[in-house]
Amino acid sequence: MSQDPIPEADLSRRLFLRSAGSVAAGGVLAQGLLGACAAERAEARSASAAPSVAEGPEELAGEIEIELELNGAKQKLKVEPRTTLLAALRERCAPPLTGAKDVCDRGNCGACTVHVDGKPAYACLLLAVDLRGKKIKTIEGIGAPENLSALQAAFCEHDASMCGFCTPGFVMSITACLEQHPGADRATIQRACSGNVCRCGTYPHVFAAALATAQQAKKG
Amino acid sequence: MSSIEPTGAPRQDAKAQDKPRKTRKIKTTKDVNGVPQEIEIEVEDVDGPRWGERKELKLLNTELRRVDGPVKVTGRARFTHDVRLPGMVYARLLCCPYPSAEVEIDVKAALALPGVEAAIVLETKTRFLGQPIAVVAGRTSDHADDALRALKVVYKPLPWAVDRAQALAEGAPNVRKNGNQGKPGQNGDRAEAEAAVAGAAAKLEATYGVPVQHHASLETHGVVVDYTGGEEATVYISTQSTFAAVEQVAELLGLKANQVTCVVEYMGGGFGSKFGLGSEGAAACRVAKELKKPVHLMLRRPDEFVMGGNRSGNRVKYKAGMDKDGALVGLVAEAERFGGLGDGAMARPPYIYSAGKTYSEVVAVYTNTDSSRAMRAPGHPQSSFGMEAVIDELAYQLGLDLLDVRKKNLRDKVYHRQLERVAREIGWFEHPHRTKPGPNSGGKETGIGFGISTWGGGGSGGTECDVQIAGDGSVTVSVGTQDLGTGSRTLVTAIVAEEFGLALGDVVARIGNSRLPSATGSGGSTTTGSLSPAVKDAAWNAREAFSAHLAPLLKTDPALVRFAGGKVFSQANPNVTMTWKQASGTLPNAGLSAHGKWDKDRAAALMGNGVHGAQAAKVEVDTLTGRVRVLAMVGIQDCGLPINRLAVKSQLNGGMIQALSYALFEERVIDPVLGIALNANFEDYKLAGPSEIPEMTALIDDDDPRNAVIGMAEPAVVPGHSAIANAVHNACGARVRDLPLTPDKVLAALGRIA
Ligand code: FES
Ligand code: FES
Repeated sequence: MSQDPIPEADLSRRLFLRSAGSVAAGGVLAQGLLGACAAERAEARSASAAPSVAEGPEELAGEIEIELELNGAKQKLKVEPRTTLLAALRERCAPPLTGAKDVCDRGNCGACTVHVDGKPAYACLLLAVDLRGKKIKTIEGIGAPENLSALQAAFCEHDASMCGFCTPGFVMSITACLEQHPGADRATIQRACSGNVCRCGTYPHVFAAALATAQQAKKG
Repeated sequence: MSSIEPTGAPRQDAKAQDKPRKTRKIKTTKDVNGVPQEIEIEVEDVDGPRWGERKELKLLNTELRRVDGPVKVTGRARFTHDVRLPGMVYARLLCCPYPSAEVEIDVKAALALPGVEAAIVLETKTRFLGQPIAVVAGRTSDHADDALRALKVVYKPLPWAVDRAQALAEGAPNVRKNGNQGKPGQNGDRAEAEAAVAGAAAKLEATYGVPVQHHASLETHGVVVDYTGGEEATVYISTQSTFAAVEQVAELLGLKANQVTCVVEYMGGGFGSKFGLGSEGAAACRVAKELKKPVHLMLRRPDEFVMGGNRSGNRVKYKAGMDKDGALVGLVAEAERFGGLGDGAMARPPYIYSAGKTYSEVVAVYTNTDSSRAMRAPGHPQSSFGMEAVIDELAYQLGLDLLDVRKKNLRDKVYHRQLERVAREIGWFEHPHRTKPGPNSGGKETGIGFGISTWGGGGSGGTECDVQIAGDGSVTVSVGTQDLGTGSRTLVTAIVAEEFGLALGDVVARIGNSRLPSATGSGGSTTTGSLSPAVKDAAWNAREAFSAHLAPLLKTDPALVRFAGGKVFSQANPNVTMTWKQASGTLPNAGLSAHGKWDKDRAAALMGNGVHGAQAAKVEVDTLTGRVRVLAMVGIQDCGLPINRLAVKSQLNGGMIQALSYALFEERVIDPVLGIALNANFEDYKLAGPSEIPEMTALIDDDDPRNAVIGMAEPAVVPGHSAIANAVHNACGARVRDLPLTPDKVLAALGRIA
C-alpha cells in the first residue's frame, strides 16, 4: 500500500481538448494546459474584437460575446474560450437548450449529440468559439411534441425511450444517418449510433424504430 | 435492504381473484320499438375494484405507447439535470481520491476567483474512496471547475483496504469498528450436506465470483435546490422516491416539512441507487442556505462512479453433488459479499433450485469503498451466476442434457414450460452440443446457455390517488409517484382511461411532486403492486360516483351505467348514448373528484407477487482470440396481468442487455497499491453499446392465469449473464468462473494462455 499523495495536476482530456481543439481551428488560447486559473486570465475582450484572418491567429481570453447559428436562428451569447458547445447550449443560451445531455462530458456516451453543418458531433468535445459561422442543430430543432419527425414518431411507436435521458442523442445520430442513407439497413443504423449508450437497454426498440422509418422512406 | 434475501417466490394465493362471481338481478325498462318493456338484467355484484375479464380490456394488457414519449424524443422532458432557475449557481463536489485520509482544505484561493460563489469544506477525515470532502459553486459550471482546481488540499492518507486480500490480511486496518468481516449468516446442516456431496455420482468443487458493478444511470445523482431564503423551498431531485427527501431537506434548510416541495418530473434512471437526498443533496442544501440562491448540483461522471452506489460483488466456493439422473443431492456454499462499507446482498444458494441437503454460509467483507446499494434484483444475479454454472458443470460430467437437468431440479412447473419455450425459441433442440461442450477448435464455436429468475414484487400501503373529472370532460389523475423510465406515468393514465372507456390521450397524469397524494418509492419491483391498486381504487370510486350522478339522467340503475368507446349509456338501452363530454357537462361546476388508496383487502384482488422468468443466450466464441459475441438472447417472464405489454417487453429487453453488459464488460477496478479508481468513466468502464446488441426476443408468459398485476423489472436482469457464461462453456468448453468474460479469461480457460 503506497501512501504517497497523488499529483495534483489536472490533465483532464477536456482541458487538453479545449486548448488543442482551438489551436487546430486556428486560434491561440490564452489558457495554459495545466489548471489555468481564471484570475490569471486577461480581462474579457469585447465582441467587437472580431477575428481578423489577416492578422494571423486570433487570441481569445475571458468572457467574450459570440454569435452562433442555432436551429436556424442566430443567437448572441457570452462564452469563454474554454466553454464547450454543450455547456454553452445548456447554461449560456437563452432560453437554455437542455435537450443535449451532459452524461460523461468526454466523448464516451453520445447523449450530447448535435449536428454541425449536418454531421453528428459530440457537443461536449467542441468549443463554442470554434462553431462561429457553422450551422448547429440540436434536438430542439428536430421536431416538437405535437409535430414529431417520422423517426421521433417511430421512437414512440416502438417504445425506443425508457428513462429518456439518452434519447435525444440517439435521435440526433440516427436522424443524421437517415438523412444520408434514407433506406439504411440494420447494420448501418447500428453503426450510426454506435457512439451512443443507453443504460436502460432500449437498443432493440431503437433499431426497430429506425428501421421502420428507413423502410417508410424507401417506400416513399 | 436485508443482506440475505430468502429465495423462492412466495406464490400469490389467488383466492381473491378466483372468488366465484356473485350476481344480482336488476329490474329496469328497455325500449323495444319505442315501447318501454319491463326487463331484468343480471349484473356482477362485486365488493370492490377488479381488473375484469382480459378479453374485455381495451387498454390494459395491450401494447400502449408511453404517454411521455413525445416529450422525451424531442428533448423537451425536463430532468433535474435540466432545471434552470434565475440566479442559479452550479455546484460541484470534490471527492477524496484516497480510500481513507485526513484532509486539510484551504478554500481562500478558490473563493477569490471571479465567478466563484461558494467553497465549503464538508469532511476532514474520510472512510471511503470517493467520499465528498468539499463543495464549491460558481456562476457557471466552468467557474465551479475553476473553484475545484483552486482548492488547496493536503491529503494525509491513512491505512486502507480496498479489496478482499487487503481486508483479510494480517494487520489490516479496521474498515468498520468491529473489523473487516460481518457476522456470518448460516443455513442448513454442514455435515449432512458434505456427506450428501461425498456420496454423489458426480462432484464439483469450484469458486465463482462476480465483480462490483455500477448502476451507471445516465442521469447522475443530484438535485436543484430552489431556496432563496424565506419560508419555502422546492427541491428538484433525481430520485426513485418523490417523498423520501422532504424531511431531510427541511431540517437542513431550517424549514418545516410542509414548506418543502420535492419534484421529480422525469428522471434518467436509478436501478436502485437513488433513494433519499444523499450526501450530494445535503451539500447542495448547505450551499443554498449559505448563498440564498438556487443551487444546481449533479454529480460529475467520475464522482458518480465512486460515490453513486454499486452492486456488491461476491465470491462463492461451491461443493456440489449430483446423482446419475441429474438430481442435485447436496450443496455446500461458502460466500463472501463485497459491498464496500456496506453489507452487500446475495440470495441464498441454491437460489431457485432444489439441491437436496444444503448448507450455506454468507459473510460480508468490508473495504474502504462506497457502500453497495440496492441494484435491480439485489443479490439475485450474484447468486444466479454460480448456481447456473454448477448445474451445467455437473450435467456435463454425467453427459446429461442441460435443459433436462434444470427441469429435474425445479419443482415449480412454471419454470419447465418457460425453459422449454426459450429453448425452442433459441434453437436448443437443433443444437449439436446438448450434453457436452463443443470443441476448442481454434475456430469459431457456437454455444447456448440457460438461466432462470424469481422475484417477489408485491406491493404495500402508502399510496393514495385522486381522480378528477371536469365539466369539459377532461380527466386528471394525481399521485405523487415517480416514473424512472419504467412507464408508471403511462400505467396511471391507462388504468383511469380503461375505467371510463376513454383513450389514453383523454386522461392527464400528474405525478412526481410531493404536493400530490402520497406514494411509495420505486424499489424492488413494488411500484406496480403499490400504485396500480390505489389508482384503480380512485378510478373505481370516481366511476361509482359518476354512475350515481348519471343514472337518473339515463333513467337507469347506477349499476347499469356503462362507459365505453368515449360514450356513456345504460346497459338496458345501449343505443341511447351520451358522449363523454355531454355526460361530463352535466356535472356541477366543480366537476367530480374521487379519492382512492392502497387498501389491503381491496388490493388483494388486484395485485400479486412472485414471478418466474427463464432466459437463454446463444454466443459465438472465437477460440483463437477469446472474443465472445452474443448472437441471440431470449427471455420469458410472467407478471400476472401485464398493464402495458410494450413496457413489459422493454423492461425484459433492458434487463437482458444489462446482464449482457455485466457478463462481458462491467467491473469496477481499483488499484490496490495506489488506492485509486482506475475506471471511473465510460471509456474504461464499458457498457454494452449498439454494436454488441444481439437478436433479442422478449416474451410475456401468457399462461400465467393470475388476473393481478405484479412488477417484473427486477427478475429481467437476473439470469442473462449466467446464461451467457454457460453458453461460452457450451460452445467450446471454456468455463470462466469469474465475470466479466474477457478474452484473456476465455483463452486461459481454453488453456491457450497461462
Ligand atoms: S456527454 Fe458528450 S459524449 Fe457523453
Ligand atoms: S432510455 Fe434510459 S438511458 Fe436510454
